[in-house]
Amino acid sequence: MSSVIWYLYEFARKSWVEKFAAARTEHEIMETPSRWRNFPEVRKEYCIACGACTAACPAPMAIKLVRSTDTSEEGGITYPVINTRGCIRCGFCAEVCPTDPKTLLCGENHLIREKFTILPVDKMYVMDEYLCIRCKKCLKSCKVGAVSEVDGKMVIDQSKCIACGDCIKNCPVKGAIKGVFVSNVEEQKEIINLVVNTLENRIDEEQDKIKDLEPEEIFKFDYPIDELVEQAREIIPKDELIRDTIEKITDRLKMRIITWDDEKCKRCRLCVDQCPVGAITYDEEKGIKREPEKCLKCSICYQTCPFGVAGFYVARFLLSETSLDEGVIHVTLKPSQLPMGS
Amino acid sequence: MILPIGPIHPSLKEPLRLKLKTRGEKVLTAEIDYGYVHRGIERIMKGKTWQKGIYLSERVCGICSYIHTQTFAETFERIAGERAPLRAQFLRVLTNELDRIQSHLLANSTYFKALEHETLFMYMLYLREPVMDAIELLTGNRVNMGWNVVGGVRMDVNQSHLDSIMKILLKLESEYDRYVEMFEHGPLVGLRSHDVGKLSRDDAIKARAVGPIGRASGLKHDLRENHHTYRDNLDLKVIWRKEGDNFARTMNRFDEITQSINLIKEVIANLPEGDIRKKIDIPAGYGDWRNEAPRGEVSYFIETNGNLIKDVSIRTPSIMNIDACAKYMLNDVATVADAIATYASVDPCIACTERVIIVDESGKSQEFDYPNYPKKNK
Repeated sequence: MSSVIWYLYEFARKSWVEKFAAARTEHEIMETPSRWRNFPEVRKEYCIACGACTAACPAPMAIKLVRSTDTSEEGGITYPVINTRGCIRCGFCAEVCPTDPKTLLCGENHLIREKFTILPVDKMYVMDEYLCIRCKKCLKSCKVGAVSEVDGKMVIDQSKCIACGDCIKNCPVKGAIKGVFVSNVEEQKEIINLVVNTLENRIDEEQDKIKDLEPEEIFKFDYPIDELVEQAREIIPKDELIRDTIEKITDRLKMRIITWDDEKCKRCRLCVDQCPVGAITYDEEKGIKREPEKCLKCSICYQTCPFGVAGFYVARFLLSETSLDEGVIHVTLKPSQLPMGS
Repeated sequence: MILPIGPIHPSLKEPLRLKLKTRGEKVLTAEIDYGYVHRGIERIMKGKTWQKGIYLSERVCGICSYIHTQTFAETFERIAGERAPLRAQFLRVLTNELDRIQSHLLANSTYFKALEHETLFMYMLYLREPVMDAIELLTGNRVNMGWNVVGGVRMDVNQSHLDSIMKILLKLESEYDRYVEMFEHGPLVGLRSHDVGKLSRDDAIKARAVGPIGRASGLKHDLRENHHTYRDNLDLKVIWRKEGDNFARTMNRFDEITQSINLIKEVIANLPEGDIRKKIDIPAGYGDWRNEAPRGEVSYFIETNGNLIKDVSIRTPSIMNIDACAKYMLNDVATVADAIATYASVDPCIACTERVIIVDESGKSQEFDYPNYPKKNK
């Protein structure tokens, strides 16, 4: 009788009830060895979508690059997805992954460079192999020994670089060393948008002058940027970054301008069908009408119109080499060389 | 009458058909049919880079998977005319010997299973488990390790790993002698093993028997003697016996386990410092390499164009050993039970045996083109 009571008492204990309620294997049994290689761990945010992992994977259908959908807040990102049914856990994808830190982690891998400490700098210097003339002035000027010569090429070791900018001051070729601001990317985007929109509006004000240009005539004007700089300073109060961004955007920007001259129009309606976005409409009372907001600036209307209603110009920009507050952007407008009325 | 065993049978580890011609209980001759697990690995490997081929070569054999990657890597190193760093070579020896220990323990355990001595069978598997743990600790996985690359090995070890491997080996060594003695001096097991499945030295040469099977018949042949790492740095003596029966084969494996333990101790004591991997640029060319697998000699013949594998041919040891078993050992065996035990004592590995090579009458091998190889559906 007493044994039965003890038997029942076993179930009445608190620890038994707790174990029964949350039944699972004990932790010690499930403990894995220290070097056990599990399926690769994916860290989406570091992926650069280079495809090295999919190319290297020895198992078929084990790894795939996918792209998440765009949302209103952010654009989609590309990242690898591991199919655990195909994966053989060799860890080769983690070995070939070139990003730093690695997008894929798998087991203990001696090629994961943990021993390097990367200093927190906001500017990254990159060498352009094609422009570099191998004068080695950057090598001599570098105080921390981050620049070195590997296979006849100058290479900057990012783990040593402290972003002092001495190399870029001593470099005799413009553009051979580039300083890239790696932080504040969002602010840089905003400044770029601001500059482009302001320049577009400024050129729209000059529409009347542009219309009367001769085919090979060039139209120039200067745009002072002091207002622009003040707006940019509200976004981020960092003069160096603002100057760098404006300089880069004006160097690269090539703006297309479409002008519209209603007086020349003969209502032939050729352009209405040709416009890919429907920005040009025809109404019997009002005639041909163009909506500039919808326009893609593809120049198809310019190429179609036999009477020269649409004009197509290309604008280029250059920032003067003065300080920010006195700086001006030189704007140059040139009629396009595309054939028209075809 | 003809007694068919297999392809699916409880006494066989892997699919294979064993046809025994019997009169009463006595087995007169035997015949073996292959072809149940042919996978065409060479065909798949063609046109792939070595980075992908090395993982495929690991899957040729299910038990001694490690030695295939080492041979594959060393073939490419030979084509390039270079060798892995010394530390990598030592680590390869360490893994190879651990793999040999677990393979021999498994082989002996299946032999005891065939003898219906289940106690020793369980003891052997009990000894094998810590060795598998040591392999897992060293390489990260138990069987398909993914540990070799052309030019070295993939992970470095530190002293704590070596210490724990040493601990496992010492424990294995202390328990291991007892079980060997159980087999060596046990009256029942000995009676069933002595003078059963005899393979004489001449027959072994005729059948080209390799590995522990050849060595138990008096062929003093171990490829580790010629391998540069063993030859230059380690102390290795070939273990051989001359009886050529089941007992000799099993005892030969037991002795080789002791030898492997001593080799590992030597490696751990003399492990040099340095790199574990170096970059090797592979030129176009042809190369071959052979190594001593747990079951004998495994050879790789690879032709490459510098990047992709143009042609590959693999020769594994079990094909010779199984043929030696069918032709010479299973002649006039007293009982069917002995025939099964003899077959198990050869340590057959069917998965790596199933290779295809076409030889015409003049003895010239020719390209096999896989005429009915299924094309991809589009």
